[in-house]
Amino acid sequence: MYGGGNVFEATKFDNLQSEDPVKLAEFEARIARGEKIEPTDWMPELYRKQLIRMIEQHAHSEIIGALPEGTWITRAPGFRRKMAQMAKVQDEVGHAQLLYSAAETLGKSREQMLTDLINGKSKYSNVFNYPAFTWADSNIISWLIDAGAIVNQMANAKGSYGPYSRALERICAEEAFHLKYGHDAVVHMATGTPKQREMIQAALNRWWPPIMTFFGPSDKMSTHTETLMRWKVKMASNDECRQQFLDMYVPKIWELGLTVPDPKLKKNQETGQWEYTEPDWDEFKRVINGDGPCNAERLAVRRTAEERGAWVRRALLNPKAKYVKPLA
Amino acid sequence: MSLKSLDPRVTRLNLPEGEVPPMEEKPELDQFETYEAFHQKKEGAAHTYVGPVHAPNEDVAFLFAKEQYSRRFPCVGLWIVRTENIQVTPYGNDGENVYDMLRIEEPAERTEQPEPYEIFHLKKRGKAHTHAGRIMATSYLGALQEAKQQFGDKGPIVNVWIAKSKDVLQSAEEDKDMWTTIPEKKYREAIAYKVMDKITKYKEENKPTTAQ
Ligand SMILES: [Fe+2]
Ligand SMILES: [Fe+2]
Ligand SMILES: [Fe+2]
Repeated sequence: MYGGGNVFEATKFDNLQSEDPVKLAEFEARIARGEKIEPTDWMPELYRKQLIRMIEQHAHSEIIGALPEGTWITRAPGFRRKMAQMAKVQDEVGHAQLLYSAAETLGKSREQMLTDLINGKSKYSNVFNYPAFTWADSNIISWLIDAGAIVNQMANAKGSYGPYSRALERICAEEAFHLKYGHDAVVHMATGTPKQREMIQAALNRWWPPIMTFFGPSDKMSTHTETLMRWKVKMASNDECRQQFLDMYVPKIWELGLTVPDPKLKKNQETGQWEYTEPDWDEFKRVINGDGPCNAERLAVRRTAEERGAWVRRALLNPKAKYVKPLA
Repeated sequence: MSLKSLDPRVTRLNLPEGEVPPMEEKPELDQFETYEAFHQKKEGAAHTYVGPVHAPNEDVAFLFAKEQYSRRFPCVGLWIVRTENIQVTPYGNDGENVYDMLRIEEPAERTEQPEPYEIFHLKKRGKAHTHAGRIMATSYLGALQEAKQQFGDKGPIVNVWIAKSKDVLQSAEEDKDMWTTIPEKKYREAIAYKVMDKITKYKEENKPTTAQ
């Protein structure tokens, strides 16, 4: 899971003046030809920093995103749903591992990334700072948060960095199951008893505002953004992603007779664009900076897992071990 | 006061409530060293690179890679190599053959016993390295030279990885049964969820009220 990758602390943009112009031209020509960049290639510092930040945040989102859903494994109704929920959560943790490795090829160690997550230095998708009160909340996450993540991931898979693209290809293949599983779970509730319908509608009402912030606020079109788009680091604007998501999923919500808790939501037939109530970006900023209902719990749980496993890792460590960056 | 969660298991952890104090920096190698994994999708297919794992030793790396890379899709074989034990050539441009760009000098000494090396090729940037074959040599450089002779003319090759065969942990014939249950776990397949049937049925039954 992943979202709103570009709303956090901005990387300083130095107009690339410190970069070697010949190497920069070769690098840009490679991307323009449609070739991928591999870890040992020369790359501008901005490219490296931005990708580390993006991939790392994506990895954190997978691992933290596994928490609200993981919570529901033991309480999922029925054995088959427990198995499926468990498989999905295991996939998400696997996605985190794939992504941490991709970021590592750019030079940031996994130790440092995990430390930065726990100390709040690097962020994860803000939606996971909200609680999953009921099984229906878990279903909405499985369906619509994953759907949002897939919009993002499909776009980023076409990006220019080889290791990230390879990781995303595997991830997208597994996400196909998540999306269907989540949709099926929501359909089951929506077409069930009046109580089930009520539960799924209530969960949708709770999750809609965070979902609308999932892709982040509208991008400020700057030279910085243009450069990242030219380098195929950023593949689509936040608004483009949001529009695509609404296009694909609002009709699927409506066909179940569910309502979206936004009276302004409609597709403008002339512009082809969805209109909606502007999400509360002040709340978004407040929550992402730590003041959300679940921030403390998410980080405390992650930290406890790290701390309680530390002695096992120390005991297993081969004293002759030597760190080498993964190859690709 | 301890942290109260919607998840009773989290509540039972008895974690302190409120702001989490900063964690000490993780020590170096807290996450171990890395290994590279290659899987074989079906009988007779070449082993293909799937990605790295962090592990304390080769055997654990195998276990982690089996979970990470061969849990969900058909697999009949898995190879593990410590990252440190793989030698890598520079990357060429797409369409080029990296063997043609390398000046491979004759290895000076040829006195040692030759031993087997595994050669992996990357055909296009962004794709995955694939096993090209095994050759005999007395050094990595000798192996590269031999590989050029034997596999060097097979179209564009943008990058080559070389590992000594003795450094490759390979799954054995009798290990294959560890993957036999993969196709049985249908609940992990998108096609197992017949969502459309349910939606169509629902729409049929609720015709007058479904208009939005
Ligand atoms: Fe996800
Ligand atoms: Fe995921
Ligand atoms: Fe997912």
